[in-house]
Amino acid sequence: MKRSVVAVVAGVLAVIAAAVVLWPRTVEAQPHLAESADLRFELTPDSTKSGSNAFDLRITDRSGNAADGDVTVEPAMPQMGHALAPITAAAQAPGRYRVAGVDLTMPGQWEITVSLRGERVVIPLLLT
Amino acid sequence: MKRRVVTLLLALGAIFGIAAPALADGAQNGADVHVAQSLGDRDLTVIVRRVAEVPGPVHVDVVTHAGTPAGELSLTLRSAGAPSSATKVVLGATPGFYSGLLHVDRPGPWELAVDEATIPFVVPALVPSPWENATYGGFIAAGVLLLAALVLAVLGRPGFALVPAAGMVAAIAVGVTAALLSPSIPPVPAPGSDLDPTYDTVMNPYERTSIADFSRPPVNMVPRVDGQDLVLSLTDGSSGRPVDDLLVHDSAFVHLVVVSPSGHLRHLHPVRTAPGEYRVKLRDPEQGTHALAAEIARRGGGVQLLRSTVDVEGGAAAPAHDGKADTGMEIREAGRPSTLTANFGERDLQPWLGMLGHMIVVGPITDGPAGAPIWAHVHSMLPPRPGQPDQPDESVAAYGPDVPFTYSFPLPGRYLVWIQVERDYSVVTVPRTVDVPAGKAAVK
Repeated sequence: MKRSVVAVVAGVLAVIAAAVVLWPRTVEAQPHLAESADLRFELTPDSTKSGSNAFDLRITDRSGNAADGDVTVEPAMPQMGHALAPITAAAQAPGRYRVAGVDLTMPGQWEITVSLRGERVVIPLLLT
Repeated sequence: MKRRVVTLLLALGAIFGIAAPALADGAQNGADVHVAQSLGDRDLTVIVRRVAEVPGPVHVDVVTHAGTPAGELSLTLRSAGAPSSATKVVLGATPGFYSGLLHVDRPGPWELAVDEATIPFVVPALVPSPWENATYGGFIAAGVLLLAALVLAVLGRPGFALVPAAGMVAAIAVGVTAALLSPSIPPVPAPGSDLDPTYDTVMNPYERTSIADFSRPPVNMVPRVDGQDLVLSLTDGSSGRPVDDLLVHDSAFVHLVVVSPSGHLRHLHPVRTAPGEYRVKLRDPEQGTHALAAEIARRGGGVQLLRSTVDVEGGAAAPAHDGKADTGMEIREAGRPSTLTANFGERDLQPWLGMLGHMIVVGPITDGPAGAPIWAHVHSMLPPRPGQPDQPDESVAAYGPDVPFTYSFPLPGRYLVWIQVERDYSVVTVPRTVDVPAGKAAVK
């Protein structure tokens, strides 16, 4: 009786260990930070997978005040020599913008150029 | 006794269940090779289908396009210069696919001759990788050791049985480790695209080399006119030797764009007639200095753009491009991305050179295309097809009608732009001019 309990416990432990090791992990979408001369840009993608994506943008000046103006997002994939048409971001709140329906169809390293009032930053984005 | 027999039978079942060798995939499965060839008066796409087994058949499809004269093509397969199988393909008057069947008897570097054009390609060998061997070897050894342990136990030697039992645990550990780690092992440099394909590198692809940087020197292109043909001589920029390691890049060895003095564009795919020599026929040329740009990729990576000019004797007037499309343009100042979207009306475009559309940009024009500082080739991509390694061929006429391009014109000025797509096995060329305003950075 005791031996079978030990065997069951060992089996359960082995299954848990295998699950921990083999469980498929998804990469959490992290905010990406970039600074230009006067502005701070923070881009958070909805997903880190290829396909249709959306970005949340938070743009402030150096002292943390919300920036305003027309924000343009230019996605490009340098490895493929391929650029997408620039998209104008929709303002959600002061300093907060959102771009939806960005078709980043290929997995790999993308470059998202964000510009506001002549200031441009290039944010690298790796999609799986 | 009865229990022992049952145990033995169960163990044997387990051994054969584990140790039955699964059929392994080979090192490289290869893929179809699509090569566009401007062969004499014919614009062909030659597709060498993936070779499934060696020795075995090689299916070759020759795709003809609108205006291709009917006739006969001879296909010959050669290995190390020795012809091994040959066939004839009779091309009909209607554009489409014409097939030939050839035969390879061994893996390695091969050459397909289509009349005078030669197409080098690699027939990969099915070689199991070291980690596959470790996985299967580990599980097979575990099975054999389990059997040995059982036999010893049944014979009443449980102490001796511990030795093969411990070996079985070790063998399972080897197999499981190899199986779990194999997806993260980087692929070896492939013969054909990174390494020069030889019989040795193809047969033993897992032999690692100490090379880390596979890139090769730049190429010199010297064009000359030979009768009606334009002949390109490609030599290595460091050694001066003929360059004979061009990769199939965007479905051709050489993408040659020829712009006449009056601004007429030809997008040609010269055929390889000798090592380092590529030849294409210039039909009805204009008189004067033509601007040339060739896109090539050498083995080991990196695409090069080779620009040159050639003086052509001819008397023909420039034919007009007859392609029609509604082109929406959103032109921004120099240095910012501009967008051109050509609408071709119907959703029946075919992939051409692996892409939905091509846009050639030459400019800013001051005194003819030959002196233009910028020369670009922009792609409009096909929608992705996840999980399918082979690109769709030209028989899939289901793309469009919108063909978008995004390009940042680097300098202000007037550019000549040609948009090219394929429909009904015919390349449609739509010429446009684009005026790019000066950007704020350029004004400063």
